[in-house]
Amino acid sequence: MTASEGGTVLIVDDDREVVRTYRRYLEDTHTIREAYDGEDAIETLDDDVDVVLLDRLMPGASGGEVLDRIREQEYDVRVAMVTAVDPDFDIVDMGFDDYVTKPTTRSELRQTVEELLSLDRHATDVREYHSLLVKAAALHEGKATYELDENPAYAELKARISDLEATLESEAESLTDDSRFVATLRAIDTTPREETDG
Amino acid sequence: MAEGDARADRYALADTLPVDIESLDPGMNVLVSGPPMSGKRQLVFDLLAPEAVPADPIVVMTTDDPASRIRAPFEDRNVRFDPTTFRVVDATGAPGDDDPSIHRVSSPADLTGMGVAFTQAVDQMGTPDRLRLGFVSISTLLQYVDAERAFSFLHVLSRRTSAAGYLGVYSIDPTTHEDRFVNVVTSIFDAAIEIREEEGERELRVRGLSDVPPEWTAFPY
Repeated sequence: MTASEGGTVLIVDDDREVVRTYRRYLEDTHTIREAYDGEDAIETLDDDVDVVLLDRLMPGASGGEVLDRIREQEYDVRVAMVTAVDPDFDIVDMGFDDYVTKPTTRSELRQTVEELLSLDRHATDVREYHSLLVKAAALHEGKATYELDENPAYAELKARISDLEATLESEAESLTDDSRFVATLRAIDTTPREETDG
Repeated sequence: MAEGDARADRYALADTLPVDIESLDPGMNVLVSGPPMSGKRQLVFDLLAPEAVPADPIVVMTTDDPASRIRAPFEDRNVRFDPTTFRVVDATGAPGDDDPSIHRVSSPADLTGMGVAFTQAVDQMGTPDRLRLGFVSISTLLQYVDAERAFSFLHVLSRRTSAAGYLGVYSIDPTTHEDRFVNVVTSIFDAAIEIREEEGERELRVRGLSDVPPEWTAFPY
């Protein structure tokens, strides 16, 4: 997450009125970027962008084509398709993380963006959980239990691990939603490699 | 883990294990751990289909042996390979004919693709209330993705099946990984079934189940 607490959202639509409306809905909590066609979107996208709201039908490159380019370039970004009709195809198969039906309300749009950002958080939480377990396992090696119990750093580590466990378990129920499950795996898949410490 | 379910909802194991465990709770994830050639894959399959007519739909995800070699041991035991009750997510990248019961993924490195294939398999089986998922093997997955990514994938997959009330059974060869990785990945699971060989005799113990003591028990081939 970058630029602001609420992350950076790229709004892509050839209808400038739509872009203006979405900006108004989101700009108090998120950093906004705009693009008015597919080429523009690809140029505007960089590693700072967390969420793309991508119009399905645009002159030139369609939303689907832009999505393919985004996935090929392995950006760590969540993408929602914006469409005038409910999609009659599987958005999971296409590689979208979610979709928004036009016209959308302020609260709907904000909720979609929030959910997409929470996928990243879930992926980050699992990653942090792993790294804490690795640290705990390292402390365990060659140490007796009583030595660990006297170690305040170990107690602190245990507390953070159980906090994270509780958070992850509370989010598990949402994984039965297919698109959320797949989008979470995609967030893991697209994590930049240099951030790993495994 | 699903809570307080009636005994009838549990996943029956028949006499698969040489210890006193007749069934497992819905939502459980079990790790089967053993050295090469110790029969852990067979044990995974036995836990998925303890009887020739499986009680529950089965999905096997494979990262090492292609679908044909997953299918054969089930067929040897007269388990019917039918797309309404039995599917394979084959992430080995092996080519093959179109078969409704096989979902192919190009490589174990494609974690998203494996997830998509799993959801398709489950959807096309009619999103059953009960299902047994087998995963062979964590060790092969580790050859394609780093430890952190493998851990994250296994965590998310196991929590997804757990939330649906499914049973998950995963295999690992602990002799090919650092102890630290094995310890960390074990923490994802509710229970671990360990296999070892001592002086030519095969033994097994179960860790993580409160009503079963973790004692080594003879487990003849």
